[in-house]
Amino acid sequence: MLKALADHDRNREAPAVVELRLRTAFRRRYSRRRWPYLAIAAAIVLLIGMRPKVQTMEIAVVTPRVPVLPAVKAAPRKVVHRKQPKEVTTPFFSLMDDAPPFERGELLRVSVPASAMRSVGLPVSEERLDDMVQADVLVGEEGLPRAIRFVNRP
Amino acid sequence: MTDRELLLLMLSGDEDAFTTLYRRRQGPVYRFALQMTGSVAIAEDVTQEVFMALLLKTAKYEASRGSLASFLYGIARNLVLRRIEKTAEVEDYAGPEDLLDDLTRRETVEQVRRAVLSLPAVYREAVVLCDLQDTSYEEAALVLDCPIGTVRSRLSRGRSILAQKLAVRSSVC
Repeated sequence: MLKALADHDRNREAPAVVELRLRTAFRRRYSRRRWPYLAIAAAIVLLIGMRPKVQTMEIAVVTPRVPVLPAVKAAPRKVVHRKQPKEVTTPFFSLMDDAPPFERGELLRVSVPASAMRSVGLPVSEERLDDMVQADVLVGEEGLPRAIRFVNRP
Repeated sequence: MTDRELLLLMLSGDEDAFTTLYRRRQGPVYRFALQMTGSVAIAEDVTQEVFMALLLKTAKYEASRGSLASFLYGIARNLVLRRIEKTAEVEDYAGPEDLLDDLTRRETVEQVRRAVLSLPAVYREAVVLCDLQDTSYEEAALVLDCPIGTVRSRLSRGRSILAQKLAVRSSVC
């Protein structure tokens, strides 16, 4: 009987929204930790850029002689303005029930399993649950993911 | 790649390593919490908190003391026990609706689940780990922080209580 229960639960997993929250937290944590290193790297780049040049090299430029051909009048180019395909996004879905008031935050673009769409009530067919989709996660100042929207990039 | 290698990459800020580690280890943690509490919501919270703890306190994990899986179970166990203490009664279990499931089989599964949930926590965790999660006695002893002999005796006691409960239920039905 215990085996029946074990078999029944064998494939049960945490919903995709948990992974999403954790990855957002991970990004927040490591992007903060990266700041000092980025600042140091930027400082090094600046220092290298400002260092006086000690050595200069002279390069002789030789222009090859090419016979001059009569100019051919080119047909006027037709300028085609292609419209950039626009992203289609869903509305934002709240990820927190009892959230403190939102004042400031940032939007992070992440790639999540399509099952995350189902966890906010959007329809996803069974065979596409493991496909990865793009999403924007709104992260509050305190580092908590507040809301999510899904992006369709044509 | 081993858990340890992934953990090291994760510590250097590799998000893919963290995601791989999470996907590899979240299932057992989630199922442990679910089978211990019977609540999908608590299982979800516990899973999240376990991996947040890994993210924030990874330094506390010592590979010499056991596998990462045991370490994660250990965190999950503490969180689950705290939740069980807080909520005197276990919430109603909400399983997924699968109309194709055989009704009799589902009834059996739910009866067993209820019986497991009604066990005292010390016996329940032994049954969940060893019988439902296929954890070895050695690993269960690490997670439960007790000797292997204690795991065996708790498991034996838990199984006999379960057998009694299920026998009573089937005779009532």
